[in-house]
Amino acid sequence: MIKLADYNLKLALKNIRRTPVLSALMVAAIGIGIGMCMSMVTVNYRFSLDPIPQKSDVLHFVQIDTWSADFPFNEGESLPNQVTYRDAKALMSAKKAHRQAMMSRAALAVEPPGRDERPFFVEVRATTADFFPMFDVPMLYGSGWTEAEDIAAEQVVVLSAETNERVFGGEDSVGRTLRMSGADYRVVGVMEEWNPSPRFYDPTGGAFSDSEDAYIPWELVVTKELPRSGNTNCWRPLEGDGLQAFLNSECIWIQLWVELRNADERAEYEDFLDAYATTQKDLGRMPRPLDTRATPVTPMLQEMGLIPEEAQVLLGLSVMFLVVCLLNTIGLLLAKFLGKATEIGTRRALGASRGVLFQQYLVEAGLIGFCGGILGLGLAWLGLEGIKAQFPSEQDAVERVMVLDWNMAFVAVALAIVASLVTAIYPTWRACSIQPAAYLKAN
Amino acid sequence: MLTMHNITKTFRTVTVQTNALRDFSLRIDEGDFVAITGPSGSGKTTFLNIAGLLETFDGGIYELDGQSVAQLKDAQLSKLRNEKIGFIFQNFNLIPDLSIFDNVDVPLRYRGFNAAERKRRIEDALQRVGLGGRKDHLPSQLSGGQQQRAGIARALAGEPRFLLADEPTGNLDSQMAAGVLDLLEEINQQGTTIIMVTHDPELAKRAKREVKMRDGLVQPAEKMQAA
Amino acid sequence: MDIGPIWRAALRNKTGIVLIVLQVAFTMAIVINAIAIAMQEADDMSRPSGVDEANMFHLQSAGFAADFDDRLTIEEDLRLIRSQPGVIAAIQTNSVPLGGSGWSMGLKTAPGAEIEATQTTIYFVDDRALETYGVELIAGENFAPSDVTWRESNSRGWGTQVIVSKALATTLFPDDSNYGVGKTIYINDTEPVTIRGVIDRLQGPWSGWDEGVEYTTLVPQHLLGNSTSYLVRAEPGRRDALMPQIETLLAEREDGRILRNLRTMEETRERSYEGSSSLVNILTTSIMILVAITTLGVSGLTSFNVTRRTKQIGTRRALGASRKAILRYFLAENLLFTGIGVVLGALIGIGLNIAMVNAFSIPRFDWYLIPAAMLTMLLIGQLAVLFPARRAAAIPPAIATRTI
Repeated sequence: MIKLADYNLKLALKNIRRTPVLSALMVAAIGIGIGMCMSMVTVNYRFSLDPIPQKSDVLHFVQIDTWSADFPFNEGESLPNQVTYRDAKALMSAKKAHRQAMMSRAALAVEPPGRDERPFFVEVRATTADFFPMFDVPMLYGSGWTEAEDIAAEQVVVLSAETNERVFGGEDSVGRTLRMSGADYRVVGVMEEWNPSPRFYDPTGGAFSDSEDAYIPWELVVTKELPRSGNTNCWRPLEGDGLQAFLNSECIWIQLWVELRNADERAEYEDFLDAYATTQKDLGRMPRPLDTRATPVTPMLQEMGLIPEEAQVLLGLSVMFLVVCLLNTIGLLLAKFLGKATEIGTRRALGASRGVLFQQYLVEAGLIGFCGGILGLGLAWLGLEGIKAQFPSEQDAVERVMVLDWNMAFVAVALAIVASLVTAIYPTWRACSIQPAAYLKAN
Repeated sequence: MLTMHNITKTFRTVTVQTNALRDFSLRIDEGDFVAITGPSGSGKTTFLNIAGLLETFDGGIYELDGQSVAQLKDAQLSKLRNEKIGFIFQNFNLIPDLSIFDNVDVPLRYRGFNAAERKRRIEDALQRVGLGGRKDHLPSQLSGGQQQRAGIARALAGEPRFLLADEPTGNLDSQMAAGVLDLLEEINQQGTTIIMVTHDPELAKRAKREVKMRDGLVQPAEKMQAA
Repeated sequence: MDIGPIWRAALRNKTGIVLIVLQVAFTMAIVINAIAIAMQEADDMSRPSGVDEANMFHLQSAGFAADFDDRLTIEEDLRLIRSQPGVIAAIQTNSVPLGGSGWSMGLKTAPGAEIEATQTTIYFVDDRALETYGVELIAGENFAPSDVTWRESNSRGWGTQVIVSKALATTLFPDDSNYGVGKTIYINDTEPVTIRGVIDRLQGPWSGWDEGVEYTTLVPQHLLGNSTSYLVRAEPGRRDALMPQIETLLAEREDGRILRNLRTMEETRERSYEGSSSLVNILTTSIMILVAITTLGVSGLTSFNVTRRTKQIGTRRALGASRKAILRYFLAENLLFTGIGVVLGALIGIGLNIAMVNAFSIPRFDWYLIPAAMLTMLLIGQLAVLFPARRAAAIPPAIATRTI
């Protein structure tokens, strides 16, 4: 048997070498089909990855319909994607969840200690103490801040590894002072590199951007009137000038997350949300029908529609593309095998059973498929690089999405093998059903 | 009338055996039935190919019905072939994917007859070779003798002046061969000139005359006889 | 030609035909849909922003120092920029066309929360805006210097006058031949402002906002705040030299701020349409590869058929087929199969488009794409078989008498 397998492989190699152009064409067709399909599968797969698998079912995104009676938010297709200051404050102070964090974005200028260095802007996430344990943020040095520091609006900061590298050369900067936009902050922690992809915790920013460079207590947004850099959405005019009017408004600009460890906690929290919204309705707010939600990460990301339509359309087209490539290969293989009818007839007459021939041609087709798969893997990588190059201004995001990881490489090879077998079986079967007598006589 | 005068044909390829003709001259009159015989490599097939306008030649004069063919272009040669010459092949050369009807139809299509005319001719020809009831069969569904009859029908359908037969019974058993030969004789009697290449002396005897070839030449005795 | 026998012969080799037909059909279906999407994106990209893109640039200034004076900075910066030789005009503003971030508001033709609003981009500018953008005033008049006021970042007042884009004006007042000049519109549900002028065209910051990108409102206010943008229009040919020069001047004048995102309008446009242009590139590349594969595949299959049918081609030649007739045979055969393929492909393509229109925000394609794609595919099919068909035509008739 081993000898026969060896013989089959030799024959296959010989046959492939005898028709180099055709074989190359078949390998190219399978390879390009797999490559095209796999780059699109990869993009879609990376877009739909669970950013925090260990906790995605316990972390819940809080939404309340606080919108206008006349015109629903997002034309009624989804609830408001952030909450108002008043609601965030009320829900936070009720402490009904195991953990809870409110947050919004700001931009601050870091003034490095060295005199020669130019100040630079950093993206800042203003949030509350639970942010770090809730999202399992890995810390390199120190830790997050405490609830007491939140309440007191202490000027403390947690730095990203990158910012710490840039400002403090990567050393343990806990306890050091960092000057940002004219105020001094005490470093309490430095994060390890942490870039959940997608950046699920803020549905309003670039879903695949880097995480923020620095994290400060949320209360500073109010006490220091920090410039907001996130998304603000209002349906109703402010009733007065100044920050206080804005805080009292129906504008939404804060994300609120809670950690609910089990179904009971979730049910309890949902009841609480409803009860809260009802009291607010009694106060004359929230003119729309009562609608509150605490949504786990995965359905929340689905609802936010993070996978761009284009990626989905391209995936569909690329699958059809692969089908064309496979049809192409089946056609060529069939033509090739049937073209060898006389040889097949002769081999059958010389004692090769149908099974042995089947093996021989399957080995040949499989070999072509395998080469196609390897080529496809290379082309998928090349394709992703090509797509990456199309987005010069979003390098960090595309670097995260357009990555061919081991999972995808495995899927690519598996797809190539399945594809080559699918393409090989029919032509092989046809070739092997050739009646030896018919061909030996007629020609 | 078919006349060849001092035809030469040389194959220059090293590997191919030189089945050449050397100063080959022959005249075949209307209504003749000539058997061309000779051993393998004597130039029979080359003669047949040149006579049938399948191949060009290097020197000499070949006139078909008084028309010199040496200068003719592909389209004119094809037309001449189609109108004046019918071929019968040793391997029948029926197109396996076409029915007997469609096979006989092939030369008529190239002639440009209309559908009714083609149908009439095909049915006549098939009737003549005794395959009237088999027109919808595929070649593979017929016996060897029947296939050759279909081949003859295809050759006859265009009503050619010359029928070139290349070992017409070479792939048939003797009983089938006899039948095919009877058919050829009958066709000849109806006025079609037949030139048959064969290596079988028995077969050659059925022709009106025999031309023996050797080394690309007509053997002198025969030449005398021919002249 | 000989369609009848070709068709009957084809029926004896159904698989081969089905493979070619499906391949052509799927290729056609993919190609028409890909082209439709690419055309849509290309259409979006070709919309003019309305401004003199080739000569404009912008940069952002963000103050951070504790003693940073936003109003003084803006006044001094503008004076400095406008005094530079080569600068045609410059404004301080909150955001720039196609810049990706900005401020939008709802405008109503009658006061009241229940009235439907038309969303518009708000650009805070001054009386030099039209000159800076290089836009044409088609009705009414420009702001006067005295109309321009200062607005604190958290304050509300909208003043009394606005200039709007033609697209916005005709949406608000479709029946007014003077584009609603002099009419009152309501911002923030109830605050009245008067349309003072209408400009031909000026796009907002978000290129992905379908028709909304054309709805633009200019408000004659200097928006205060630490972070602001300057938009500069240079004389032709002087933009590139002015860019670093102005950045340096501003940096030297005030160091309690960071200057960033110094970009030409052209660069901003490119960034704005990065997604569109990448999609167009991906789609066109895919189309070309796909068509190449299908062409090579059809060519390869035909080539094999020619080899397999060498004997019968020789026989046909012997029976009177000229070289041209053989060539025609293969071209006709291909025309037949490709023809079935493109018809099937058109059906699949239409089905696919309908499915995508339902599932995504993809436009229905124009009907002419179908016949155009059909013709192209037929032509490509003919080209694909030309080489093998010529090979077939070159088969010598003497093959017929060869006994192997």
